[in-house]
Amino acid sequence: MGLGFTIGFIGVLILFHAAYSTIQYRTLLKITEEEFSGSPLIVVIELTLGLLLCTWAALNVPGKFLCILPDSDENRIVSLPGNLDFMIFNHRGKIFPVEMNERLRH
Amino acid sequence: MAGHSGSGSSEKKSSNGVNELLTFNAENMQSNMKTIYYSRTFLSIIGGVVAGILGFTGLKGFIFYVLLMAFTSVGLIAKAKFSIHTYFDSWNRVLIDGFLGGLMSFVLFWTFAYDIAHIF
Repeated sequence: MGLGFTIGFIGVLILFHAAYSTIQYRTLLKITEEEFSGSPLIVVIELTLGLLLCTWAALNVPGKFLCILPDSDENRIVSLPGNLDFMIFNHRGKIFPVEMNERLRH
Repeated sequence: MAGHSGSGSSEKKSSNGVNELLTFNAENMQSNMKTIYYSRTFLSIIGGVVAGILGFTGLKGFIFYVLLMAFTSVGLIAKAKFSIHTYFDSWNRVLIDGFLGGLMSFVLFWTFAYDIAHIF
C-alpha cells in the first residue's frame, strides 16, 4: 500500500506540473493575443501519464477484493463467537494435572 | 445451534433474478462495495482536474467523464480477474454503482481546475 500511495502522489505531482505549464501557456497566449485552441502536446502527454499513474493507484490502494462465496478456502465459517452460554467448564478435563509452567502457544 | 449468529461473518440470502448465488458472505460484499466506491470517487476527482486543465467545456467534459467511468469499470473488472461472481453478486454493482455519485465530485473539481488554469 505504501507503493500505491507513492505512485498516486507522483501522479498528482505530475498533474500539478501540467497545470502550471498550462497557466504559463495561457499567459503566453495573452501576451501574443491569440485564442486558446488546445493545450500543447507535451501537456496532453503529461496529463495522460498522470492520469494513468493515478488510475493504477486508485485501483490498488483501497485494498483487495474479498471472496464472497461461502465455500471458498478463506471463508471457513466459524460461527460461534465467544459466547458464554456455550462454554462448558464442568467437564472431565479437571482430572488433568495443572501445568503451571506451560506457556501460551498460539 | 441456530440461536446466535455472531457479528462476524454473517450470511445473507438474496434471491432476486439477477444473481446466481443464493447465499453469500455479506460482510465481504460490503467491503468490496466500499473499495469500488473509493476507487471511483478518487478517479472522478482526478478526472475532474484533468478535464479542467485541458480546458473542456460543456458536453465534451461530460463525455470525458463517461469515458473515464467506462475506463474505471474495465479496470475494476480486471482487478476482479474477470470472475465477477466470486466477488460480487451482480454485474450492475461493478458497472453502474458509483456513477452518479462520482459525477458531482467530477463537476466540482472540473470547474475548480478550469478556473485555476484558465481564468486566473
